[in-house]
Amino acid sequence: MAKRFGQHTALEGVSLAVAPGEVFGLLGPNGAGKTTLIRIGLDILRADEGDVTLFGAAPNPKALDRTAYLPEERGVYRRAKVRELLTYLGRLKGLKRAGAHDAADHWLERVGLSRVADQRVESLSKGMTQKVQIAACLMTNPELCVLDEPFSGLDPVNVALVTDLIEERRASGRTTVLSTHMMHQVEALCDRVALIHRGKLVVYGELDEIRRRYSPHEVIVWTEMDLAARGIRATQRKAGGWRVELPPSATPAGYLHELVGSGVSVDRYEPLVARMDEIFVNLVGGGR
Amino acid sequence: MRIGRIGAVARFELLSVVKRWSYLIATFGLPIFLAIVSGTVLGVQTYFLSQRIAESSEFGLVDEAGIVDRSAFEDRDGVRVWTANANEVVLYENRDLATQDLEAGRLRALYVVGESYLSSGEVHAIQSEKTPLLSMRGTTIEPLLRSLLRNSLLEGRLDGDLQERVISPAYFVRSRLGPDGEHVAGVDEALDLLVRTTIPLFLGILLLTALLSASGYLVQTVSTDKESKIVEVLLSSVTPEEILAGKLFGLGAAGLVQFAVWSSMVVLVALTASVALASVVSIPWQALAVAPLMFILGYLFLGSLMLATAALGANAAESQKLTMGWAMLAILPLMVLVILLDEPNGILGQVLTWIPFTSPLTVIIRLAVDSSGIAWWEVIGSMGALLISTWLSIRIGARLFRVGFLLTGSMPSLAELWRQAR
Repeated sequence: MAKRFGQHTALEGVSLAVAPGEVFGLLGPNGAGKTTLIRIGLDILRADEGDVTLFGAAPNPKALDRTAYLPEERGVYRRAKVRELLTYLGRLKGLKRAGAHDAADHWLERVGLSRVADQRVESLSKGMTQKVQIAACLMTNPELCVLDEPFSGLDPVNVALVTDLIEERRASGRTTVLSTHMMHQVEALCDRVALIHRGKLVVYGELDEIRRRYSPHEVIVWTEMDLAARGIRATQRKAGGWRVELPPSATPAGYLHELVGSGVSVDRYEPLVARMDEIFVNLVGGGR
Repeated sequence: MRIGRIGAVARFELLSVVKRWSYLIATFGLPIFLAIVSGTVLGVQTYFLSQRIAESSEFGLVDEAGIVDRSAFEDRDGVRVWTANANEVVLYENRDLATQDLEAGRLRALYVVGESYLSSGEVHAIQSEKTPLLSMRGTTIEPLLRSLLRNSLLEGRLDGDLQERVISPAYFVRSRLGPDGEHVAGVDEALDLLVRTTIPLFLGILLLTALLSASGYLVQTVSTDKESKIVEVLLSSVTPEEILAGKLFGLGAAGLVQFAVWSSMVVLVALTASVALASVVSIPWQALAVAPLMFILGYLFLGSLMLATAALGANAAESQKLTMGWAMLAILPLMVLVILLDEPNGILGQVLTWIPFTSPLTVIIRLAVDSSGIAWWEVIGSMGALLISTWLSIRIGARLFRVGFLLTGSMPSLAELWRQAR
């Protein structure tokens, strides 16, 4: 798809699919076009070119009822009471009044906010407000949930809570699109990712495969011996172990066999896999 | 559009507004405040008037020219007194004695017909220091004294009827055709004019105030949605048309309650007036009956336009500025009110009846001033025009609403709006 705002091209030639039941990471620097992509996917904006399908058909009100969205720019009615707000948002997703009320109570309990159900949203802390919004998003148990930066502003306990909720969704076969800059969360949660930069799709695929693809041809060897003194192209790491650059034709398994064969006493051995933040910086940092 | 979702939005918006103090004060506090103020003003006026009536209404008259007809005065214990319209005029032969009574506060004023009266016509009106400023205003004593002097001058020189006609050449007996075409006598022209213009004016202002007030809530809610950034959540759940319709109905209901409370005041005044003045003036029942319908239609039209344009503003202040133009168009009939009151069914009235912005107010004013001059097809037609315009403005408004809601920063160009709204 493509989307332009005046002279500015927000998205160009982006094509991707999110599979049912997966946690899909949508990555990219600020202003890359992620929010525009999400908005188009949820029929909030219309693409200038290309087609969008949601649950196999063009976006329509029924399909949208099966989705939920937590936007990056958080929005709440600050003067509304917490339960009142959740009930209203549940009603907008098609729940009956009683159902919305029950779901609001259930999800407030899930996120530990039952005690503030009758308080105005404006009286809550930033983190609590965010949990209210996450509850609003999950209260209809949507088949597809798009979470834009769900961890920002949360303390470690609540980050763990939200992580658990996303894991639960995956376990129950629900799909989650996760847009975040917290790369360790992407590594921990996502099955597949797409990286968008300047409106274009830069990387797209299985997370593990991408990490392997962008990994250096190196391994980490933990040993008491001095590998450099043995003529091996290795540098000692501060965190412990030696970082060893493999010969171009070697595989990690083959090299381990070779290393042990040469008399090196190996305590631990690990092929070096690129971290997502390294991949991110390498791919989008160059043009900055 | 899904009725349930529209209902959910409408209910939420209605409850959000009616729970606000500002709404409760404007809806119920304002009429109570006006009743208290007007009641207090009336009470104070009545009190002072009764005090004034209780005050001395005696005036002194010194006739130095010797022309005043003494036979008009009756003798009360040696004092000659002329009574007219609850005023009493004491005739003094001695000016000093009269001045003493004036100084003592027994007289409100002293009139001296000087010796040269016949040639100069001068009558000196003297008030004491104690006489309150402006106390002579509003009394009928001077016209009565003129009549007394005329009578005195003509006494015995003309026959009775002729003398009366010289003194009072004409009594205007006013009448006009009443509501049922009957010839009604005894019309007070000032009262007639007052009732015939005040009710349409008041009704018009009321309609407009309620319209703009309800539209103001719309602008406010759009700004709140935009500033609170909740709009994306809303748009991912319901269509712009559903949000727009829900807000229109919810806040329209709040506006309708406000209008009903306010207009009940007008109905109360009209009912009171109809009891007191039924034979004299026609209460514009047709205008009062049509007013709620015109309010609803006018509100839906104006409201949908206001919602759409308010969504284009970056904040509440900007939204207010953007919607001001619509409000100005709606006020237009009040700007030309003098012409509409004078000629309600003239070409201007007829044209304004068909323009959706001005038709609610114009139809109400025309019906209130002269319901016989406006044809039924004009009323129905203007409602039809309003309905079609409302449908169009909701359709276009919903598109602008979606675009406007998601725009941040500077105002988009018209070309950009068109492209986005397609």
